[in-house]
Amino acid sequence: MAPVTYLEAIRQGIWEEMERSPEVFCIGEDIGIYGGAFKVTEGFIQRFGPERVIDTPIAESAIVGAAFGAALTGLRPVAEFQFIDFIGCAFNQITNMLAKSHYRWGAPAPVVLRGPSGGGVHGGPFHSQNPEMYFVHTPGLKVVCPATAYDAKGLIKSAIRDNNPVLFFEHKFLYRRIKEELPVGKDADYVVPIGKARVAREVKAGGHLSIITYAAMVHTALEAAETLAKEGIEVEVVDLRTLLPLDREAIVATVKKTNKVIVLHEDTKTGGIAGEIAAIINEECFDDLDAPIVRITSLDTPVPFSPPMEEYFLPSVKGVVEKVRWLHRY
Amino acid sequence: MKSHNKPKNSPTGKSNQGAPPPTRNAHGILDYRLEHPDFRVVEVTKGGEVRWEVQGNLGAPVPPLRESQYLKQEQCIEIYRWMLLNRRMEAALENLYKQGKVVGGVYFGLGQEGCSCASAYALQKDDWLAPMIRNQGSMLVRGFPARDIMMQYMAKAGSPTKGRDASSHFGDHEKRNVVAPISMLGDLIPVMAGVALGARLQGLNIAVMTYIGDGGQSTGVFHEGLNFAAVQKLGLVLIVENNLWGYSTPAERQFLVKNLADRAVAYGIPGVIVDGTDACQVYDVCHEAAERARCGEGATLIEAKMMRMKGHAIHDAAGYVPKELLEYWRKRDPIARFEKFLLAKKWLTAEENKKLIAEVEKQLEEDRNFAEVSPMPKPEAAEGGVYCEAGCHPIQPKYGGVKVAAGKPGAGKPQETEAAVHFR
Repeated sequence: MAPVTYLEAIRQGIWEEMERSPEVFCIGEDIGIYGGAFKVTEGFIQRFGPERVIDTPIAESAIVGAAFGAALTGLRPVAEFQFIDFIGCAFNQITNMLAKSHYRWGAPAPVVLRGPSGGGVHGGPFHSQNPEMYFVHTPGLKVVCPATAYDAKGLIKSAIRDNNPVLFFEHKFLYRRIKEELPVGKDADYVVPIGKARVAREVKAGGHLSIITYAAMVHTALEAAETLAKEGIEVEVVDLRTLLPLDREAIVATVKKTNKVIVLHEDTKTGGIAGEIAAIINEECFDDLDAPIVRITSLDTPVPFSPPMEEYFLPSVKGVVEKVRWLHRY
Repeated sequence: MKSHNKPKNSPTGKSNQGAPPPTRNAHGILDYRLEHPDFRVVEVTKGGEVRWEVQGNLGAPVPPLRESQYLKQEQCIEIYRWMLLNRRMEAALENLYKQGKVVGGVYFGLGQEGCSCASAYALQKDDWLAPMIRNQGSMLVRGFPARDIMMQYMAKAGSPTKGRDASSHFGDHEKRNVVAPISMLGDLIPVMAGVALGARLQGLNIAVMTYIGDGGQSTGVFHEGLNFAAVQKLGLVLIVENNLWGYSTPAERQFLVKNLADRAVAYGIPGVIVDGTDACQVYDVCHEAAERARCGEGATLIEAKMMRMKGHAIHDAAGYVPKELLEYWRKRDPIARFEKFLLAKKWLTAEENKKLIAEVEKQLEEDRNFAEVSPMPKPEAAEGGVYCEAGCHPIQPKYGGVKVAAGKPGAGKPQETEAAVHFR
């Protein structure tokens, strides 16, 4: 079977869930006949009909609110944000209506909110955001950020089957840039559990340090690790996959293994999850550290548009390699 | 698709004999009121003091109720009883507050009981309701006992939210089909549109009813939700309760149009104006709107004009409200008007009325005692229940599952595509 792109994997996942369960439907802007701005829902309206692939007005609060309402009747909506940056327009519905409904009045909100996030595509401040932390900060939500095609498919299936509101942040840089062979036939219907990290590059005991990361930066970390291996520096790369709930065990396990850790994310520095992870490491395995925890993140600025500036804004393979060498010598 | 009989009376302007027919204003909006008050609130600076004053004619006599086209005697008495329970419950809450037994504030629907109770009374079993803070009467009609609301206010463990939220912020998505509000205004509107969407996907057109105030209708999400319901032809019955004040802000400072129902034109849906203190008018238009909804004819915007007779909440003495305005509306008390109507029609004797009031008082006394002695939550009860895990709720389609025609199986199999946008 030919390898499929990250985007294709997401499409397969949603498609298969819609075939498996008639309660699943899609709602969002331009997802019907157009097939979605990034073509994630291409072909869906022909297969599933217009009632299950709904084109909405430009109204993110209404999209999220209506998805919740439909969920109250026992359905499982998958709502798309054309760009995840627009999630700000639905902030109140997500954090106050959806996130708190089970806690307050016992009403589950099995809603998936998905869309393309992240930069590196010259999209500028409103088409490149990583808004995950606004939602990681909100109890009641789940936040998922897949880095591979395999995980993207398995996690979108898990998200759709989850009884809680799941924010599914797809990384647009990865959409068509990475491909992978996926299980076919009977094995095609696989799930990846939400809340569990994955070791993307494993080192034996005695490995030199760990990079904890997620989404597009997983590939940056892996590229850096290849370069560093040639210098004899062994880097373990942990792909978080889910930001909320965070896999504390996986974080602790890698720290206990290598004793030096870098947290790498494309999100901006202040309030990014690296701070949260550093606090967790402090609580759970401080004594296993041989060096301070290092953060590699984007700058604390909006995402700049012009390519040389965006490149400067984002973490780079070169930057990661330099920081690893520094930490290794510490 | 399950359907109901075609509605006999969409807002077409029919009326009972005796009362003049409803009028249509310049925007084509039907107005069922038997009086058209003409006054306004203006900001006046006098002697270094800035305050609100009312100008215009406040001397008109109180008209009779517009007799309902649909309600039979027993139903009128039922609604009247709900209104009494609504008011007496809130009076009891006020007393409890003064005894220091209520946590936080109390919100009153004084003067608005006719709107809350008569509107909810028009709903059927499969319909859904989402109350706002002053629609506690609607929750009583929908089947929540007064003790539930009182336990909410007293933050008791036995409250419907187990003490996790206050006042009318509770619901029941399984039996009574009530959506719990949040404090932010307007957000219930798209949610209710979504409920109707979910039901329709399962082959059933239902009426979904919620409220919004003259203040709340200023929010962006009001527009998003109503527009979405309208364009999708979802059976939303949206009742705009124009009680003239949003906290300390009079309607004149909230919007420029004369009637909020006129906004219906902008959404392409029918709009209706009623006297919110006339339970019969409220019932009739809600009934017709709900029938429209159940026939798949989409949304209706109802403006119920009335007055908020107390402050925003119990802490608010509302001294900013001109006294003459309160006096005008006090003469139009919905319960007094309904009582007078029932007695005049001899649908209720003075003796029966006394008995009814006593029954309501007795039931309330029982509920209040129950709520008062019920325990507070254990502190640890704050934890847990943030997520629906390990099958704590089996989520099943409520109306039998999705019943729409699929496209051709095998049609449009996913294939490799090019990026549609210039982001590469």
